[in-house]
Amino acid sequence: MIFLLILVFIVIGLIEVPVLIRNKHWRELIAFSFFLLVAFIMTLLQTLGVKLPSPLNSINYLIKDILHLNYG
Amino acid sequence: MRLEKGVISSSQLMFLVTGLIQGSALTVAFITKIAKQDIWLVVLSGLVISLFLALIYISLAQKFPSKNLIQINDIIYGPYVGKLISALYLYFFLLIIPANLRFIGDFSLTYLMPETPMSVILIMFMFICAWAVRKGIEVIARTSIILVVITIIISLFTFVLLLKDMQLTNFLPILELSLKDYIQSTHIMMAIPFGEVLVFFMVIPYVNNIKQAKSSVLLGLIIGGLTILSVTVKFIAVLGITSTIMTSPYFEAVRLIDIAGIITRLEILVAIGLLITVFLKVSIFYYATVLGIAQLLNLRSYLPLVLPIGIICISLSFFLYASPVEEVESAVSIWPIWSIPFELLFPLSSLLIAKIRRLPKKQGG
Repeated sequence: MIFLLILVFIVIGLIEVPVLIRNKHWRELIAFSFFLLVAFIMTLLQTLGVKLPSPLNSINYLIKDILHLNYG
Repeated sequence: MRLEKGVISSSQLMFLVTGLIQGSALTVAFITKIAKQDIWLVVLSGLVISLFLALIYISLAQKFPSKNLIQINDIIYGPYVGKLISALYLYFFLLIIPANLRFIGDFSLTYLMPETPMSVILIMFMFICAWAVRKGIEVIARTSIILVVITIIISLFTFVLLLKDMQLTNFLPILELSLKDYIQSTHIMMAIPFGEVLVFFMVIPYVNNIKQAKSSVLLGLIIGGLTILSVTVKFIAVLGITSTIMTSPYFEAVRLIDIAGIITRLEILVAIGLLITVFLKVSIFYYATVLGIAQLLNLRSYLPLVLPIGIICISLSFFLYASPVEEVESAVSIWPIWSIPFELLFPLSSLLIAKIRRLPKKQGG
């Protein structure tokens, strides 16, 4: 499973990176690598069975517990 | 520097708006528990209020022709605060994608393919969306015409076939809603299907005739709203109060179609309609998010960001909600409040600040 995941990310890298390097789009390359790294870490943790916190938790906390604005 | 080279016509914009609204046709199920048989009334009032919201958005977009949301924020709030508000907007758009993906995944796991893992469905679905987004807004706009027409035909077809099962007494007692429930359900209706028109801030700059954008957005909203209205009328007239205990009342209502034992099992049409309109909706939000991030980071092309953001969305959709129950809970009590600043406060204050600062300034004046 992890092997498959790494393979998919390598394929995505092979699709995108050569074009970016050929056109000398370094800024795009940095943004692409950053988002791909985030995606890789998230999917890897999920494949390993780590339970990630939902991004809605913070919104729930903000609205329910700090502002008390939620509908009952 | 324009990130998007495509140009769409104003009639294509209308179909895009309609598709976006129709993509939420099955999420009306969130408010059946609150609004019960008066849900059609709630849909109508939500539509009327959101027409005014859309007027705010369009007048803001027409003040700054060929500028998208990120650039408008930069001009109005200055580079730093503007970037912060844009980042919040992008977060808002980004979270809508996994919510819709999760909706599709839960739906097909419950009704269509119970044995298939959700990841397979989501990856295939997102692959198509990523493809569409990489091809640009023109391609999404062209597909929208076909897909929206198919959805409208499905909607009319099932309406005609369900006529014999409809009982108008199911609408009684009418106007039995308490004021609090009425306000809450109208707000949910306004925030979830209709207020999402906000995303067209990222698309309107690429319309060739900005003068006609107003009428096409309003017309698209009305057609989409009428589709949602027909959905609610169908399932309330057929199922009555029973619809409040179902996760997907429209689907269950269409399941009852039985013409002489030959024309049956038409509920798959609903599933097809759901899939194609949610494809449109996710593509539009996906496109807006990717384009927005590229604009925010001053990139020359948004194409390299498409695949990573898609993977992040698929990954998010798995742990966004623990269960469908939590999804409904969040959609009903948290999400409408969370969307107020984005859908109402920021556009309104942008409009006011633009008036006060006399923006946009004339070039070389």
